[in-house]
Amino acid sequence: MSETFTKSMARNIFYGGSLFFFLLFLALTFDTESALPDRDNRQAITEKVALGKKVWEEHDCIGCHTLLGEGAYFAPELGNVYKRFGNSTEAIVGFIKSRPENGIPGRRSMPQFNLSDEELEAVAEFLKYASEINTNNWPPNIQG
Amino acid sequence: MTHADSDIGHERPPGDLAIWIFICAELLVFAVFFASYAFTRANHVELFNQWQSTLNRNYALVNTLALITSSYFVVRAIAAIRIDHRSASLRWLLGALAMGALFLVVKSMEYADHYSHGVNLRTNLFFMFYFSLTFFHFMHVLMGMVILGVNAAVLRKGGYSAENHRGMETGGSYWHMVDMVWLILFPLVYVMR
Amino acid sequence: MKYQSQAVAKPYFIAAIGLFVGQILFGLIMGLQYVWGDFLFPEIPFNVARMVHTNLLIVWILFGFMGAAYYLIPEETENELWSPKLALLMFWIFLVAGALTILGYLLVPYAKLAELTMNDLLPTMGREFLEQPTITKIGIVIVALAFLLNIGMTLLKGRKTVVSLVMVIGLTGLAVFFLFSFFNPDNLVKDKFYWWWVVHLWVEGVWELILGSILAFVLIKTTGVDREVIEKWLYIIIAMTLITGIIGTGHHYYWIGTPEYWQWWGSIFSAMEPIPFFMMTIFAFNMVNKRRRNHPNQAAVLWALGTAVMAFLGAGVWGFLHTLAPVNYYTHGTQITAAHGHMAFYGAYAMIVLTMISYSMPLMNGRKAANSNKSQVVEMWAFWLMTVSMVFITLFLTGAGILQTWMQRYTDTPLNFMAAQEKIAVFYWMREIAGVVFLIGLTLYIVSFFVGRNDPEAVIEEKAAA
Repeated sequence: MSETFTKSMARNIFYGGSLFFFLLFLALTFDTESALPDRDNRQAITEKVALGKKVWEEHDCIGCHTLLGEGAYFAPELGNVYKRFGNSTEAIVGFIKSRPENGIPGRRSMPQFNLSDEELEAVAEFLKYASEINTNNWPPNIQG
Repeated sequence: MTHADSDIGHERPPGDLAIWIFICAELLVFAVFFASYAFTRANHVELFNQWQSTLNRNYALVNTLALITSSYFVVRAIAAIRIDHRSASLRWLLGALAMGALFLVVKSMEYADHYSHGVNLRTNLFFMFYFSLTFFHFMHVLMGMVILGVNAAVLRKGGYSAENHRGMETGGSYWHMVDMVWLILFPLVYVMR
Repeated sequence: MKYQSQAVAKPYFIAAIGLFVGQILFGLIMGLQYVWGDFLFPEIPFNVARMVHTNLLIVWILFGFMGAAYYLIPEETENELWSPKLALLMFWIFLVAGALTILGYLLVPYAKLAELTMNDLLPTMGREFLEQPTITKIGIVIVALAFLLNIGMTLLKGRKTVVSLVMVIGLTGLAVFFLFSFFNPDNLVKDKFYWWWVVHLWVEGVWELILGSILAFVLIKTTGVDREVIEKWLYIIIAMTLITGIIGTGHHYYWIGTPEYWQWWGSIFSAMEPIPFFMMTIFAFNMVNKRRRNHPNQAAVLWALGTAVMAFLGAGVWGFLHTLAPVNYYTHGTQITAAHGHMAFYGAYAMIVLTMISYSMPLMNGRKAANSNKSQVVEMWAFWLMTVSMVFITLFLTGAGILQTWMQRYTDTPLNFMAAQEKIAVFYWMREIAGVVFLIGLTLYIVSFFVGRNDPEAVIEEKAAA
């Protein structure tokens, strides 16, 4: 009875507690999965949007921008850029297309990626899709 | 519990100290959850009152009685082992487990009721709290039953005696915590207007 | 050093330090790009520098963990490593694969790299921290499996202590959760949801098991406190870590398209996440106070205590600062996140690897217990320079973040992103200066391996130890 705090009990709490909370996490994940169809704008995922996501990834856009607040903090949030650009995919295409090859002297510059027209449209459609995900009203304002 | 306990001293909580660290952590989580509930409720009194009245309080009442009874059975089980009445202790412990099982069955019926009406975690703010709190507690009942089940298995094999029943005290402490949380949860979620 | 095979840790640690230097250099480049926008443009655009910076961090920490395991597991299990040859082979494979990946980032445009490595077959590239080509990811899995086999076999044939068991659980979890990096659905919300199963469940889950076991090992060795006591603490701390940290993942699920209840679940559980870090701080200081001997390697003890404090500040306090959903609504994706990330990674993971290096390198270099006084003094200078400058980096980024949040998110007339950035440029300049001081500290750290090599070992007078 001298040991008031036993190692075996500490071990049981570690294994039991971790398993318990992992199961709870799985239960919440399961519920989230069933909730997502109403929130994640999946009906808008066309082949074009899927291509757009790939273009987004293969140019590492997340390395400068945030998307729904996640990514790098060097360049503007793009989760709502479609809305910020006046609900226009053309404006997005125009912006990406017009980046100068050698940047803007002294300023943070976006590279010229030389995307094809198909890729440009796809990435703009992807950003449109992203802007219509239900994000619980985030960001607080249009500036992202 | 005073006689058999006299050799241990009364400052120390029963059971293993490690479980008390865990119990404190759990109570902290529940406390914050309850506080969040109270705070949110204060800002949405009407919504909460409206949906609270749709809950079936009979289920909850049965469950309250089930848990209180099971806690009493655990007390009897530990009292029995303290005078080395192993078979009596085991019977009390199995009784406590049965009451726990009753809780799970009744609560599952209630959940089934909700789901058949299309009510879930995302229906509204009240049900978000209702399901989060009760399900979190539900999992704790399950966990408590696993612990009591292990206690019962060890007891059956003769692992506890009047001198050494630390494991049962540990399991009992956890079970009382689960019970106590329900005693706060029940009025807070089902009754309080 | 008690077992020959522990020496395989040495190349792992040397590589870790080398990559650490690279990480800091690219950090400085990025810091400069924050205020001098077209610095090195278009040769090294910011996103490339950032990939190199973060990927080098991950790789050197992994090298550090593996080295720590190769040193720690034989000693704990009291037998030689199952296969030192396999460990060395994996070292070279991992180093070459890592170097090729980094060179790929730097030498060809990222899209070209994706094409060359056939990203089309199984697209996994281009997500934050998981930018590695799919083939590199597969390589990481193979290296991890071979590593786990080696460590697992060593554990199986030896003494099973809590420290070694916890470390192996942590390392296994690391490998298992990395598998989610191969899941990249078109659905952005799902992509993000399971992306966190790698990132969050690593750094706020299984990595903390590895951290805890290394810290426990070094404390057992340097304080002479009874193993039973330390192992109990270890169990309780990591139990609290996982109890709070697993559901704590919810603090990433507020604004990415996931249901609103995560705001409650995430806030409540992540508000508890500082608790295990606080316990760790109390634990480390307690053990050092209860020490039964004064270990001559004072630098290692300093690193161990530093880890406990900085992990609590960086992960605990700075994490809590912006973890509650109503706060996070405004701070999400601002420099506040960057501030937290820097101090947490340095305080928890960089420092624990440096702790292990500090403890084990003298032994692997043939010392009985510690380096010479001269070397330790330089190392402690390095400790303070790096740690204090990291505190300042964090403070400056926090200042930048608060102003950014205010100007761009909170006021009635929000500024656009770049306008806000220009107004906080002075904070970025100060951060860059602090970064240079960090580099000086790191340089001194490396110097500490080369000074006083021929001096006698540091000793502690016996009366102090009695």
